[in-house]
Amino acid sequence: MLMSIRNVKKNFHHTQVLKDVSLNVKKGDVVAIIGPSGSGKTTFLRCLSFLEQADGGEMDFNGRTLSLASASKKEIAAVRKQTAFVFQNYNLFANKTALENVTVGLVSGHGMARDKAKKVALAALQKVGMADRADYYPAHLSGGQQQRVAIARAIAASPDVILFDEPTSALDPELVSEVLQVMKELAQEGTTMIVVTHEMKFAREAATHVVFMADGVVVEEGRAEEIFTAPKEERTRRFLQYILPEEYAAAVLI
Amino acid sequence: MRLDFEFMQETFLLVWSGAGTTLSLTALVLLVSIPLGFYLAAVRLHSGLIISSAVRGYVSFVRGTPIILQILLVYSLLPSLLNAAAQAAGLSVNIFDLIEPFWYAAVVFTLNTTALLTEVFRSSLTAIPKGQLEAGLTCGMSAFKTYLHIIVPQALAVALPGLCNATVNLVKGTSLAFLMTVKDIMAVGKIAASYGYNYLEAYLDVFLVYLILCTIIQLGYAVLEARLSTFRAKL
Ligand SMILES: Nc1ncnc2c1ncn2[C@@H]1O[C@H](COP(=O)(O)OP(=O)(O)O)[C@@H](O)[C@H]1O
Ligand SMILES: [Mg+2]
Repeated sequence: MLMSIRNVKKNFHHTQVLKDVSLNVKKGDVVAIIGPSGSGKTTFLRCLSFLEQADGGEMDFNGRTLSLASASKKEIAAVRKQTAFVFQNYNLFANKTALENVTVGLVSGHGMARDKAKKVALAALQKVGMADRADYYPAHLSGGQQQRVAIARAIAASPDVILFDEPTSALDPELVSEVLQVMKELAQEGTTMIVVTHEMKFAREAATHVVFMADGVVVEEGRAEEIFTAPKEERTRRFLQYILPEEYAAAVLI
Repeated sequence: MRLDFEFMQETFLLVWSGAGTTLSLTALVLLVSIPLGFYLAAVRLHSGLIISSAVRGYVSFVRGTPIILQILLVYSLLPSLLNAAAQAAGLSVNIFDLIEPFWYAAVVFTLNTTALLTEVFRSSLTAIPKGQLEAGLTCGMSAFKTYLHIIVPQALAVALPGLCNATVNLVKGTSLAFLMTVKDIMAVGKIAASYGYNYLEAYLDVFLVYLILCTIIQLGYAVLEARLSTFRAKL
């Protein structure tokens, strides 16, 4: 098991946003987390990279066990270097070009030599089809292009796991597929990914494992086919019916 | 009433000789106030209640009192304090001879400008979305490195208009340094005027010199802003 996350709890003020969330991720897994909005999916991902401090829970990762509530600065830094995060609203560094967005973390975070970082960054941009925009500032790129640069930034340091938080929900509909295409390629190459998404088609086609979350708990999880064609829980069924009315009707008829 | 143009021309050149003092005072003050203001702004935003309240208190003290009062206070207090300290330490120096009034002026204006810039930088730092820091952290950078490479450069671009404002106010404000017998533009003008009682001419000269200086400074900032904000410009 590459990453084994156990019993994550998180409160905001007096509301319990994550009640007891556990998740196992093997190398090469593509885990899709689906569920209604407000169910704690973003918070869960943020706890894994310590952008949010959990109130409880632990994680085995790369042979090391650490507490999500009280990890040391050193442990946090190590986890952040071995993971990457792709944000819903891209969060590209506004004062850096596409290329610099990728190199700055490699050089200042990972201590890579400047010329090597540039080579690695160009290769990463090439992979997401953004090499020809290497010198553009984020303000001069479309949302889809920005998100592809953000993905290049995420893959450049060869992390063991990449966390995606609804990477296509801020995009205009016509830009969604260019980003999903890149993510599918990563999935096919065996990149380990945890993806919070509302793109059911992507989840169905690319995910090895689907997790349905609601109200801060994992309601149901399993292989994509199981969840989408034969959900066991009523809650899952209702959610899928709501989000995929037509396909779901068809699937149930089969 | 007629203006004495010959006197005005001579004095105009003379007044420029005070510009050196005005500008070096301004430059020295900015050199200290810009980094210090940035630091205090960060402290104000990220420290505990006590420290950030102390910074806030300092800022509102400076903003809530007339600068002329601050000048008089420092100029009548600081030399005596330093002298007493020197004597207590057993040093046989006369502080009043040793330290030029220029340095007291530098202290007052630094205290003043630092407070103003703390506010300017605080609001420009809050204008940078939190996601920039989070992106830096998840890329493996420390918070310090993220500030250094990402947040401070962006905040500086946002702060430039406020910084320009503070610089121009400082240049104009240093005209009060003549109260401390500093020989700046204003002081040179006043002295020249008092010889022949040509006050109007001398003041017009001083007026022109400040206008020229401040215009140049504003143009300089406009160029700097255009360069530092290329990343924000729409194509
Ligand atoms: N920083 C925060 N402060 C207070 N409440 C928050 C914060 N972040 C999230 N929440 C709350 O936690 C719940 C779960 O949010 P989130 O993890 O964003 O859900 P999801 O990503 O599944 O839509 C929501 O009710 C949200 O309002
Ligand atoms: Mg969310």
